[in-house]
Amino acid sequence: MANTSTKVKVIFGDASLGLRGTNFGYIFSYDRGGLESLVQNGKEWCYRIPRPAFWRATTDNDRGNQFYVKSAQWLAADMFSQCVKIEVFIDGQSVGFPISPENNKYSNQEYADEAAVEYTYQTTTTPATTVTVRYTVDGSGSIQVAAYYNGAKGLPQLPVFGLRFTMPTAATGFDYQGLSGETYPDRMAGGVPGTYHVDGLPVSPYMVPQECGMHMATDSVTVNRDQTLNNADTSRANFSLHFSKANKPFAFSCLPYTPEELENATHIEELPLKRRTILTIYGATRGVGGIDSWGADVEEQYHVSAEQDIAFGFVIDGPEQ
Amino acid sequence: MKAEISWLDDPETFRVNQLPARSDHRGFQSTAEATTRQSSLEQSLDGDWQFQFAQTPQERPVGFYDPDYDRTHFDTITVPGHIEIAGYGQLKYINTTYPWEGKDCRRPAYALGDGDTGKGMFSEGEDNTVGAYVTNFILNPALRDKRVIVQFDGVEEAMYLWLNGQFVGYAEDSFSRSEFDLTPYLKDGENLMAVEVFKRSTAAFIEDQDMFRFSGIFRSVRLAGKPAVFLEDLAIRPDVSADYTDGKLNLALKLSQTDDAPAAEIRVKVTDGDGREVLSLTKPAAESVTFENNVFKKVHLWNHMDPYLYHLQIELTTTDGTTLEVVPYDFGFRKVELKNKIMLLNGNRIIINGVNRHEWDAKRGRAVTDEDMHYDMQVFHDNNINAVRTCHYPDQIPWYFLCDHEGIYMMAENNLESHGSWQKMGAVEPSYNVPGSVPQWKAAVIDRARSNYEAFKNHTAVLFWSLGNESYAGDDIAAMNKFYKDHDDTRLTHYEGVCRNRKYEDQISDMESMMYDPPVEIAKYLENDPKKPFVNCEYMHDMGNSLGGMSSYDALIDKYPMYQGGFIWDYIDQALWTEDEVTGEPVLRYGGDFDDRHSDYEFSGDGLLFADRTPKPAMQEVKYYYGKHIN
Repeated sequence: MANTSTKVKVIFGDASLGLRGTNFGYIFSYDRGGLESLVQNGKEWCYRIPRPAFWRATTDNDRGNQFYVKSAQWLAADMFSQCVKIEVFIDGQSVGFPISPENNKYSNQEYADEAAVEYTYQTTTTPATTVTVRYTVDGSGSIQVAAYYNGAKGLPQLPVFGLRFTMPTAATGFDYQGLSGETYPDRMAGGVPGTYHVDGLPVSPYMVPQECGMHMATDSVTVNRDQTLNNADTSRANFSLHFSKANKPFAFSCLPYTPEELENATHIEELPLKRRTILTIYGATRGVGGIDSWGADVEEQYHVSAEQDIAFGFVIDGPEQ
Repeated sequence: MKAEISWLDDPETFRVNQLPARSDHRGFQSTAEATTRQSSLEQSLDGDWQFQFAQTPQERPVGFYDPDYDRTHFDTITVPGHIEIAGYGQLKYINTTYPWEGKDCRRPAYALGDGDTGKGMFSEGEDNTVGAYVTNFILNPALRDKRVIVQFDGVEEAMYLWLNGQFVGYAEDSFSRSEFDLTPYLKDGENLMAVEVFKRSTAAFIEDQDMFRFSGIFRSVRLAGKPAVFLEDLAIRPDVSADYTDGKLNLALKLSQTDDAPAAEIRVKVTDGDGREVLSLTKPAAESVTFENNVFKKVHLWNHMDPYLYHLQIELTTTDGTTLEVVPYDFGFRKVELKNKIMLLNGNRIIINGVNRHEWDAKRGRAVTDEDMHYDMQVFHDNNINAVRTCHYPDQIPWYFLCDHEGIYMMAENNLESHGSWQKMGAVEPSYNVPGSVPQWKAAVIDRARSNYEAFKNHTAVLFWSLGNESYAGDDIAAMNKFYKDHDDTRLTHYEGVCRNRKYEDQISDMESMMYDPPVEIAKYLENDPKKPFVNCEYMHDMGNSLGGMSSYDALIDKYPMYQGGFIWDYIDQALWTEDEVTGEPVLRYGGDFDDRHSDYEFSGDGLLFADRTPKPAMQEVKYYYGKHIN
């Protein structure tokens, strides 16, 4: 086994690409169109596939200046954009889309220095555009994630652009290295750099539930859970998944709800029980504004244009060895 | 005199038999009492009162104030508190439009012509709920054989008062203290006090603040015993020399004496912050006594960073040495000026790192507690907030003393907002604006200015008088400005609404005040030979998840000396704890959640604090920017 420890084992399945190594196993689904399973040390981290994130729950200022009307199609794109293309790369070389019978040529002993899967999503907007998300895995189980938004002329401004993970159970908390408190591009001067622990999955109790919990300029975040949905796993011992910056810091929010769940509630008590962990890592996020709440726009430098390309990346660290 | 319900409809009747507005000082029986601020001359009437609620004036218990009236069916209500929070009357939040929107069509009396007297508008109003309050009291020993006045710190929105079946007086202005002399009506033994509170009167047109609309006796009520000679009014004028080195103290005292009062004298003593006596003077008592031009060499000035106070104590004694009354008052020396179109405090440019603060408590509405006030003061300190605008009415009196002690600059606003009379669907449309230039509304608003000035004139923290909020501009508000100017040349006046009617800009407001003006527009004003220094009376609207872009306002501070900061809108979300109708759990509810319509729903929540007083996440941004220019 010694010779496999630096390489990743590649399972050329009929419906997925499996990537395995010491203390990790990942399933990149073809039919679901994304990373279907991320297991480290026997614990599953994906409830559903990660999806491109375009929407944030409307803030009072968004409502006041009609941003939600102008950019409404990003809500549909957030919920309904589909995977339209999948491509697999082994050691940097494309092997196309290796489903059966193409995959019959591979054995059960395939190894690579690195393997990558790139998903292309088409938005439900008019005009439509695409987002690619490429996951590159090496023998340590580390996943480099690179997301790319293709700007398209005529599209309204974006609330956010990111990648949203839905984890099977609610986190017990998270730790991050970044700025204190809840920060946004136009409200981060008061954030004090440091390492912070957050207990549970707090939702800022704005009278009308809305976008909340953003953490700008983050170097790393660790999500902690103590429960799985695996019926054979009754342990309540803590386990974690660690995300770190690639070439530059990222923004994230870690909440028990999707933007759509927050969007629908008029009071915090209307939100459902906290069952999942919604971790979204953002490459771009719009400011919250503050001049008034009945018309004033967010200052221009804090807009996110949908007409320009946006690239960002981060790393999901492999399991500790 | 007989109480007339028609007063509710008449803008020219707003106080009947009320004592004149005066300084908010307290009287004590001894120096020991003055030291502990526990006055045996005061007797609280807070607590459980008998209560009967009526949906309309026509259904009210007429004559309930009569000692012989059968009140066995009356309920019990806690004073202070709001009638609506006690479960009588529907809770309602509305912002700019009048609370009867969609239910009644009202125009202010005389606003559209002299023939329009408003007769019956409120006295027969279907939405004019009535609270009949009754309490019994026996005078505490210290108050017996003295003159006794009653102090209502806040009653919303019109009240009639009876004692032992006899009519005493009438008051409007929900947020100013109303005082009445009870002496002629008192009895030995048990006395019966009755208060009839109407939710609406003509005051409704000028109390259209962006807030929950309550009614009731929502601030404390107390009796105050007054010895044969007592200090009726006190005016402390601490002046500072032009080079900000020496101080000069002027005092003007008004005394009230009974006909058979003993000969008395006044002893005035001032001690510094370390308790050293720095001034001691004596004069014989008279109706009006002044102590002028008392020089304080190298005086210790007061400001936010160093709120240094001197302690004044006034003792009234008989000539044989018996103490009649002791009045303590802490004051500071500080100088407010407008020089070269810049507002200065002690010669330094003022930077306002301020907030607008409605009085709010999620359990009690506007009936805030001392604990709330102390908590708020700590939040101010923790987050570099150095100024407060009392939006849009006078606050509870202890808050002003707290601001003196803690060095918080106050924009002391009188009770006035008539938003619904001039702005409709966002457009400026002042066809029936009041007070405007309507003569019949002038005395009422001058009275509001006077009540504010007289009560708070001795507070070092008050740097600015504010004429009110969002009421447009006309002759009447110009007259309010003149009132403050005629009575006080040591402070500046503020009013934003004149920017909507610039014809009055030379008569109203020492500063150019705007609300929610974008930073680029403020820069334009400041670049174009401005007449007045600029202040944001409201900015950074912190509704929900907001407060982005503060750096653009902050940048104006260093760039433009005439930009002098502003007051964030606002301090705390207005939401009320209630029980969830599904789970029974305590939940916070806001406008529209009580089936109240027409409503402005979640616009009641624009605070730096959530309604439960937890700071919102944005607070760290305030702390950062306000910390950059703290002075």
